[in-house]
Amino acid sequence: MTANAEELELKDRLSLIETMITEGRRTTGRYGWVFVLWGVAYYIAIAWASIGPDYLAWPITMTVSAALTGIIFGSKCRKRPKTTISRAMASIWIAMGISMFVLFTALGWSGKLADNHIFIAIAAAMLGTANATSSMTLKWKLQFVCALIWWVTAAVSCFGSASQSSMTFLVAIFLCQIVFGIYLIITEASQRGKAALHA
Amino acid sequence: MPELPELNPVIHGKLRLALLSLLVGVEEAEFTWLRAKTDSTDGNLGAQLAKLEEAGYVSVKKKFVQRKPQTLYRITEAGRQAFLEYIQALKELLGTAI
Repeated sequence: MTANAEELELKDRLSLIETMITEGRRTTGRYGWVFVLWGVAYYIAIAWASIGPDYLAWPITMTVSAALTGIIFGSKCRKRPKTTISRAMASIWIAMGISMFVLFTALGWSGKLADNHIFIAIAAAMLGTANATSSMTLKWKLQFVCALIWWVTAAVSCFGSASQSSMTFLVAIFLCQIVFGIYLIITEASQRGKAALHA
Repeated sequence: MPELPELNPVIHGKLRLALLSLLVGVEEAEFTWLRAKTDSTDGNLGAQLAKLEEAGYVSVKKKFVQRKPQTLYRITEAGRQAFLEYIQALKELLGTAI
């Protein structure tokens, strides 16, 4: 083998390493549907709470959504390898979900969740924290915008009237769950298309 | 003249190198995922993974998930070290070639 051919082969190996490492670390997960599912679940819970017993609406809707998320994740993501980042992301959202569930269930049953402002402020602040942590870990500015929207919602809920705070909450769900989720689904679909072209 | 480093022949094979590069970025990976990423056949992939396992560079775990067999591969500490040394040697060789 000539020196030039040998050098080309070595460069080829280096390029292979780079490509495979990138491929292995690429976020192969598709998470847009999770945001949309939870956004719809929030709307269902809000609608249910406004016409029926709200102490049942939230726990039941959230439990069903969590079960659905677990089942879909189990079937869709079973074959994907775990990375430290994917484990960190899952931890953030699971921990936030458990915190919310325990806190709101306890507050609801103890009868201390009488003020809707407090409910919105706590929920929005927690969602802001999870989105901000995720965005900083993934270096993802758009998700940080979602975190900002949630934090603004939490603040508005403390100072605004009942209708203002409810309206802000509904808008935040629409922007940070539905719109953001659909944007993710579209982006993920276009990335899949590009990957298929390169394959 | 300084002595040029030698490339580890176990890692130098194209498919084995691709496999270690994939495994270095994840905690563990399933056989089918590795097959899809490397676009290789079952037989070839199995043979190359066996060579890496024989060298102590990857470890294998077999289990059943929903009654279906699942084979998971993980890079070992020795594998990670050998992989880093391989990259270092490769860069040194390329450095002398350039």
